Amino acid sequence: MEPLGTFEIIGRILYQFTSVWLALVILFAASIAFKRRLGLYGKLFDSPIGMIGFALVMFWIFTGVFGQMDLIVTHDSLTQISGMKNKVPGTALRGVGEDVYPWYLMGGDNLARDVFSRMVEGAWVVVQIAPLATLFAFMVGITLGLPAGYFGGRLDTGISFLANLILAFPVILLFYLLVTPEIVATGVPNFMATVLFIFPIVFTGVLINSRYHTQPGFRTPLMIGVLGVMFWIYLSMISTNGYLVNNEDFAIPALPKILDLFDVSGGILVVFVSVVFVNSPTVFRIVRGLAMDIKTRDYVAAAQTRGEGAWYIMLWEILPNARGPLIVDFCLRIGYTTILLGTLGFFGLGLPPESPDWGSTINEGRRLLSIYLHPALPPALALLSLVLGLNLLADGLREESLKD
Amino acid sequence: MGPGASPRTPGVFTTRRSRAWHLCANWEMEMQKRDYDGPILEIDKLSISFFTRLREIPAVMDFSISVQPGEAVGLVGESGCGKSTVALGVMQDLGKNGAVVGGSIKFKGRDLGAMNQEELRAIRGSEIAMIYQEPMASLNPAMKIGKQLMEVPMIHQGINKKEAFERALQVVTDVKLPDPKRILNSFPHQLSGGQQQRIVIAMALMSEPALLILDEPTTALDVTVEAAIVELVKDLGRKYGTSMLFISHNLGLVLETCDRICVMYSGEAVERGSINAVFDEMRHPYTQALFRSIPLPGADKNSHPLVAIPGNFPLPHERPEGCNFGPRCDYFEEGRCDQGDLLMAAVPGDERHHTRCLKFDEIDWNAPIDVGEQKQKAEPGEVVLKINDLRKYYEVAANAIFGGGDTKVVKANETLTFEARESETLAIVGESGCGKSTFAKVLMGLETATGGEILLDGRNIEQLPIEARDAKTVGEIQMVFQNPFDTLNPSMTVGRQIIRALEIFGVGENEAARKARMLDLLDLVKLPRAFAERMPRQLSGGQKQRVGIARAFAGGARIVVADEPVSALDVSVQAAVTDLLMEIQREEKTTLLFISHDLSIVRYLSDRVMVMYLGHVVELGSTDQVFSPPYHPYTEALLSAVPIADTSVEKKHIVLEGDIPSAVNPPPGCPFQTRCRWKSEVPGGLCESQVPEARELAEGHQIKCHLSAEKLAEMEVVIKIAAE
Repeated sequence: MEPLGTFEIIGRILYQFTSVWLALVILFAASIAFKRRLGLYGKLFDSPIGMIGFALVMFWIFTGVFGQMDLIVTHDSLTQISGMKNKVPGTALRGVGEDVYPWYLMGGDNLARDVFSRMVEGAWVVVQIAPLATLFAFMVGITLGLPAGYFGGRLDTGISFLANLILAFPVILLFYLLVTPEIVATGVPNFMATVLFIFPIVFTGVLINSRYHTQPGFRTPLMIGVLGVMFWIYLSMISTNGYLVNNEDFAIPALPKILDLFDVSGGILVVFVSVVFVNSPTVFRIVRGLAMDIKTRDYVAAAQTRGEGAWYIMLWEILPNARGPLIVDFCLRIGYTTILLGTLGFFGLGLPPESPDWGSTINEGRRLLSIYLHPALPPALALLSLVLGLNLLADGLREESLKD
Repeated sequence: MGPGASPRTPGVFTTRRSRAWHLCANWEMEMQKRDYDGPILEIDKLSISFFTRLREIPAVMDFSISVQPGEAVGLVGESGCGKSTVALGVMQDLGKNGAVVGGSIKFKGRDLGAMNQEELRAIRGSEIAMIYQEPMASLNPAMKIGKQLMEVPMIHQGINKKEAFERALQVVTDVKLPDPKRILNSFPHQLSGGQQQRIVIAMALMSEPALLILDEPTTALDVTVEAAIVELVKDLGRKYGTSMLFISHNLGLVLETCDRICVMYSGEAVERGSINAVFDEMRHPYTQALFRSIPLPGADKNSHPLVAIPGNFPLPHERPEGCNFGPRCDYFEEGRCDQGDLLMAAVPGDERHHTRCLKFDEIDWNAPIDVGEQKQKAEPGEVVLKINDLRKYYEVAANAIFGGGDTKVVKANETLTFEARESETLAIVGESGCGKSTFAKVLMGLETATGGEILLDGRNIEQLPIEARDAKTVGEIQMVFQNPFDTLNPSMTVGRQIIRALEIFGVGENEAARKARMLDLLDLVKLPRAFAERMPRQLSGGQKQRVGIARAFAGGARIVVADEPVSALDVSVQAAVTDLLMEIQREEKTTLLFISHDLSIVRYLSDRVMVMYLGHVVELGSTDQVFSPPYHPYTEALLSAVPIADTSVEKKHIVLEGDIPSAVNPPPGCPFQTRCRWKSEVPGGLCESQVPEARELAEGHQIKCHLSAEKLAEMEVVIKIAAE
């Protein structure tokens, strides 16, 4: 079969994304039609910048999801096809069956895998990890930042000092340390995961209790239900094969294997832990500052004078009113996390070597950059456009939340 | 003689030598400063609109006014009526959303709208100066006062540093600041609010402007400081011959400072004329309603009750057809007042008195107020709350970071002793830093007392923090807060917030019962039940304050601390909220502790008054006792400082020197001795060495002062009603 021309390549790539375009059009049409009823999200559609950012972000989210559903990818991201090593975009495959897509739309990489499919699969890695890791960082930051800002004094001094300590630590060095086999074997990342992942449970528990403590009949079943499920997920997350840590020197048993819902591979866990660990101090600072500002308002005083508990005030009076800046920061921080994931992949830290994530593929493409440009460029542009999209989205949200 | 020719102006000729280039433009300007003798400012049929993404919002419509040389014109209206927009229009500083859509603004005969940026820059700050509400926001916090002042003439007149410094020194002396050299060498944060505002005024006067625009210049200041600033502005206006545009919501202040007044409502001028014409012979229903809704000392609550203006201020895009005030007006006539555009019409017999009312010559302006049903006030009952020798001290560490070193004791409350009865209103009066908020905190249990006792029904609660109090006690003592925009959680519906209070106070067995009670509470504060589903941002200030009151009464409050509950509200709404509080008090037999600095309203609604200064109760007595001589010297000054919007009232003029001392560093002896004008009457320097004991002058009237009984008897009435 003939190799494809430039326009044909572009056309076919655009065609591969059909499902994404469709989803985007439906999402935008629906959002614009109902934008007056959708609060801050609806207002986003008044700002061109915000719309562009949102479109970029949603493009990659849909790409990640639909790519996983086999709607976009043309080949398996790990399959090597002979004769396709470092071939330019649009090269036709030779000697393959009828049911295989007959071209490498963006060429092949140095192991003769399809660059296009790997880029699409890479989006899924980011979509999976970045928002969740950022959410965890926010939980940690909020749970520590609210009391620090609200109570102030020694508590604030102590936690702030710890946060500064973490911020002062060189991030890359920390990552290298965390993935060093000797350190992994001592269980340090697992311990960190054990500590960091407990925060969402603490957060939810306090949230429910402070709100419903006046109605124990309603609160207790709710708490048991919600916290039970969360605790199960938590244990599944931190335990592997029935153990929290299992090395030659010692073993700490955790959830038995039968009850374990899923296993998080050691690498992903490390990535998760490091991202949460380095992001939470910054979130902590933002939340602390907002809490210090909002605690002087009269509605906080009103809550105090009717004898509300400190956690109710923090979580139900202060936090909801700090949401504006936090939402904006959340978007920006997903961007930073995406870059951080890229960096980790680039250095080959954490993620498995054949993983299609963007950082790893950029690093692989980099080695032959002077001869073959095409394997490194698509993931780099993908990374760039997603982060750009997130930044624009944050800008749009900030702009719109300040209006009226 | 124009202001430019004042003898203290550094010569224009030195300017010419030093900066020839700058001169041409400035020379022209200086000439104009002198030669023009028409009205300084002429605004003719001005319309200003703001453009949002949804629609055009007219902020000012068909507004005309002229300011003659040396004249002070007051611009009065409620928030949102467009008075500040007029000022910004004069400065040609409407931002990118605002634009003049009709009419003209002429300054000394030149159309400001036709000028380019260069010409406007030469006029702003030099010929037209503006003073804003927040002094701290008008000063650059990173620049020394002297440098900020010197900048003005150096930019506008190009004079050299030395002359600019001398001018700055002169102006700072003119605004009566002590030790001008030290002031010039300090940063803004080192000065008190009153001193900062004086500096802002000094800065505005540096270039001897022809027109001074003051936008609520004293709203952020305490009453006694406000009185001093107003006095200063009046003096300087006379001395420099400056014309003034004085923007305020306070009718009393305008009466004291201005020659003419313009009342605005919803973007339009509704009445315009000389002070006497508008105050005594008003010809617009809104002006009349405004005067009826503020408590005047000349009238008691039975013959002259407060009459709230019904309804709400219309939003700019929801203005009614015809007269904007129509829907709230008592004289509204269908088919006439709600049609077409209304124009300003001259009142016969006074060519400078105009009104925007179709029916002004038909209304009987002297008709007595329809008083309506008078409710008898409940008699004070049993003693509910007894405060005995209460003290609250704070320890302030000298070193904030490590907490070591010396500690200083701030005495926020010193030996408070009083009692409050059922259905009684006790007013606590004092300026910022007098300890009234600290007392509220101790009473609520947010802080615990250092000494003394608070007895609620004979139970000691002074050492019980709020966590240790049971739900009933907490529910019995509640608070209404000052700032309506801050009192409700912006992200929770109104109903939810009230239900939460009910949950905490343990009212109602289940959600349904609490919901029913919440709706009852909304009825109690006269809000429609549909408001339960609304978010606070959809409510007006007055409505929010009503929700705050409903929330305070959720737990069956018996003692309500109202911390300036109406001071942040517009005049027309104040009366309604005040009435509501009093009505609920009558029904629930609540003890109301009414914290305020507004003596007019205190006199109107309270049974007893407690005057506080720097943590001490300086005077305590029934309302009549406190408001008539003998006074404590501080009460006397406070009474004199309150601006009163009544031309028939004659006030004795007492201006306090200086600022309120800091509570961290109180003066020795009597706390008020640094500002007291009677100090010389006490022999032996007793005031400076000894804190006076509280002494009883009459039944229930106590006072903390060293003055002898004879001297106290010599005191004259401060507020006198001339006509009677």
